[in-house]
This record gives sequence, structure tokens and C-alpha cells, in this order.
Amino acid sequence: MKKILCVVAVISLFLCSFASANESVIEKIEKRGVIRVGMSTFVPWAMKDKKGRLVGFEIDVAKKLAQDMGVKVEFVPTAWSGIIPALLTGKFDVIIGGMGITPRRNLKVNFTIPYEYSGMSIVASRARAKGFSSLGDFNKKNVVIAVRMGTTAEQAARKYMPDASFKLFDNESQAIQELILGRVHAVVSSAPMPVFQALKYPDRLFVPIKENFTKEPIGFAIRKGDHDALNFFNNWILNMQANGFLKERQAYWFESKKWEKLVK
Amino acid sequence: MLNNKKLRFTIVDAAVILCLIAAVYLFVAKAGDVLDYKWAWNKIVPYFFYFDRASGRLVPNVLATGFGVTVKLSLWSTLLGLMLGVVSGIAGARGSLEQRFISRVYVETARNIPSLVLVIIFYYFVSSQFLDALHLDTWLRTASGNTRKIFSLLFAGPDRINSFVSAVAALGIYEGAYVSEIIRGGIISIPEGQWEAALSVGLSRRRTFVLIILPQTFRRVAFPLAGQFISTIKDSSIVSVISIQELTFQGMELMSATFLTFEIWITVTGLYFILTFSLSRAVAFLENKYRLRY
Repeated sequence: MKKILCVVAVISLFLCSFASANESVIEKIEKRGVIRVGMSTFVPWAMKDKKGRLVGFEIDVAKKLAQDMGVKVEFVPTAWSGIIPALLTGKFDVIIGGMGITPRRNLKVNFTIPYEYSGMSIVASRARAKGFSSLGDFNKKNVVIAVRMGTTAEQAARKYMPDASFKLFDNESQAIQELILGRVHAVVSSAPMPVFQALKYPDRLFVPIKENFTKEPIGFAIRKGDHDALNFFNNWILNMQANGFLKERQAYWFESKKWEKLVK
Repeated sequence: MLNNKKLRFTIVDAAVILCLIAAVYLFVAKAGDVLDYKWAWNKIVPYFFYFDRASGRLVPNVLATGFGVTVKLSLWSTLLGLMLGVVSGIAGARGSLEQRFISRVYVETARNIPSLVLVIIFYYFVSSQFLDALHLDTWLRTASGNTRKIFSLLFAGPDRINSFVSAVAALGIYEGAYVSEIIRGGIISIPEGQWEAALSVGLSRRRTFVLIILPQTFRRVAFPLAGQFISTIKDSSIVSVISIQELTFQGMELMSATFLTFEIWITVTGLYFILTFSLSRAVAFLENKYRLRY
């Protein structure tokens, strides 16, 4: 009898988890009263300030989204390399984490329309990459480039500099550290971080190519097949583009450096 | 005791210590030259505690809370590991054939999977199938204010409870396998003569085990167990991969935000060391106190 009860309990647990899969994320969020947002630290997209609170462009976007939905927001800081599996297994409802829309990612998750565009930028070591001024200069066998693992920066760098060799790190501070020590020639990452680093260490680093060498759309990522949520988020983004909220936040986080005193 | 030579501090010891200090100093100075790193130690302090002007109180910041989570995590996974390990260890040493088999399978499986892989399996598969279906977080969110406070203090808040529980489970199961082997070895190491003596004065096998064998076992396994608990604290850093907000994870997040790589790593190292070293001193003290004196 006990055994049968156990089996029934396990099966019903499975059924529960499947039954809830058909419900839209939007309904789940409303029922819970909380939207769970997956993100990862990228300066200045999302980071901890001096008081340990999360600040950044993404954080403002997610907070505004929660406010408009009338729910509270919970951030789930997640290692970037595991952020898509974490979304698929339901650790949070949506990724608002500066995620570039790429075909390969799109096969696994659904993206909203872009709410922001980013581009790849490069910062190089004065000692090792002396006189380098084009992507061609970096596209050589003996050049080593440090990037954050699993990012679009890694993909872009591999595409534009196929001959260079790569060092992959789990976060950007390690890549930058490697560059400051002069162990790699350059770091590729989303703008504007590379430029900020060059300004911070002017005697060691420089920006070899002034413009961003890619432009990529950034969207929210959600689990596949949820048309209701996709429609809701898309229209929310359209609204925020129309009323200037996104533009104003972008100017604050990416074009000004007023936020720097929040962090250090 | 045979080995009761008094330790005395001599001039040779002083010379050795001086040489060591000089070597460390040289190393640090040399490293400083190579690195040419802009140290900013003063920026680390507010990440422990900062003074909130609005409320006029000291508020714990990310490093302090991360330290707290590491302590909680180590405590619960040690307890879970101890429970699993004692049961499995006794079953492995004294149990029936099936019990020994089950104990063996558990120990060999858990010991032969890297802890990192175990943690990831638990987080992505076990936790999303079972823990999410339990709706622990929903229950905690709707619970009364006091229940929620106590739960958050002892475990984690509703936003992190599922990942916290899966981390504790994974670490507990992993450590339990080692505890199991320590306990099993301890029981087996008690000489057969103890059994024969106890049985010959008319004790049952069960009472012999509980009254004669187990107390002796616990004295023997105490020190290796303490070593295992210390390694639990160190192992707890691997759950940073599943985004538990413990010390290592907070340190890495902070590094991403501030780029103060070395200051933060050194601080995090120091915090782990304080935790494990004080524990190992405490154990040494207890060991000395409860040692058998002949």
C-alpha cells in the first residue's frame, strides 16, 4: 500500500510540473505577484553598487517592467555560461541581461523585439599590441585575445579574427586583469566597457579601433512557445521606445559616466 | 607518554622565522613590481559593512552576507552529510547484505562523481523536477512575516530557497559519502576482542554495538570527521556555479562590477581561512581535552 502511495505521489508531482507548463509566464507572474528576472553582471548593464544593491541599465528596465505589470521584481544573478539552461529549467521567468539576439541562441529560446542595440568594441595592451590599428592587425597567429566565455563577444572575435588564439574567462574582470598584466594582446567586449577601461589605465591600455565593429540587437529571452508573454513584452518595449524611457536610460548608462560614483 | 620532550624556543627557531618573514616580504615586493597594480584596499571595507545615514545603522554588505550564506550552507550540508553518513556507514559496516550493497552503491556513486557535476545535476534536473513542484517558494512568499523572517535567517529568502535547498542537498550527499567511509572504517577498526568480551559477559549483539563499539568508534572518528567538515566549508565554494549568493559568488560578482580583482580574492581567501582555521583550532582543543590518557 505504501509503495503504491509513493508511486502515485511521484507521478502526481510530475503531472503538476507538466500541467503548469501550459500556463503563460505572464499569468504565473501575476499569480505569484513577483517577476523573476535572470541577469548577470556586465558593467554598466547590471552590477552591484556600493551598498550591494543592483544597479544598471537592465535593472532599470526590469524594475520599470515590474512596475508597469504591478508586481514586485526579484533578480536572480546567474553565471553567464549557465543562464540559458537556467531559463529553460524555470529558475526565472525571463532573461533581461543584455543578451544579444543570435540565431543559435534563438533555436533554444524565444526573443522579444530589441529594446537596445549594442556593439563589440576592443581594448588593447600598449605593450603587446603597439601600433595595431585595424582588425587585420589582430588577426594573426601569435595574437592572443581574452573574452568572456559564451558571450557574443566571443563569437564576434572568432568571426573577425579567426587566426588569433583565444583565452576564455568566466567574467570580464579576469579578462581585463590579464590584459593589464600584458599576457594577452586585447580584450573584446560589448561597448562601452572597453573604452572605460582604456580611460582608467591610460598608460597601459588603448583603444585601437574607435568605432564598434559589430552592431547587435538586444532582447528579452523567454522559454519557447509562450505567445502571450512574447506579445506582452514586445508591446511593452514598443511603448517604452515611443515614450522615450529606453532612450533616456540609455543616455544615462551608456553615454554619461554619472553612475560611476554609485559603484566605486 | 613516550614522546614528552618539551618544546623550547631557541635561537635557531628565531633565525628560521626571520628568514621566512624576509622571504615573504621579498615575494610580495617582487610580485608588486611585476604586477604594477593599483591597490585600492580602502575600497574593500564598505563591502563588508557600510553606515546607512538614513537609518543611522551599520548595514551588512555583500561580503558580510556572502560570508553568512557560506556559514549557513556549510552548517546544513554538514548536518545532512552527517546523518546520511552515519546511517550509511553503520549499514556498510554491520548491516545485512542488501544494506551493505545500498551503502556501497551510494558511497561509490557520490565519491566518483566530481562535486561540481553533482551540484549541477541537482540544480538543473533534480531541483526543477521535484523542488519546483513542491512550491516551497510560493509557500514561503505567502507565509506570515515571522515565519518568513526565521526561514530567511536559517535558510534563505523565498527568492533563493529552491537553489539553496538543492545546493545543500548536493553538498550533503557528496560529503555524506566521505563521512560514511570514515564511520565504517571506525567501526571496523574496533578490535574483535571488544565484541567477544562484551558477548561473553552476556550483552546482546545490539547492546554491544550501542554501548561498547559505538562510543569507541566516535572517539576514533572525531578528528577525521572534523577534517571532513572543514573540507565541506571549502567545497561550499563550488555552488557559486549555480548562483548561490555565497562568499565566492559574491566575490566574483563584485570583481565584475569593480575590477578590484586582487583585493577581493585576497579578502575572500582570508575569510575562508578565518572560518576553517578557527574550526580546526576548536577541534584540536576538544581532541586534547577528550584524549584518552594512559
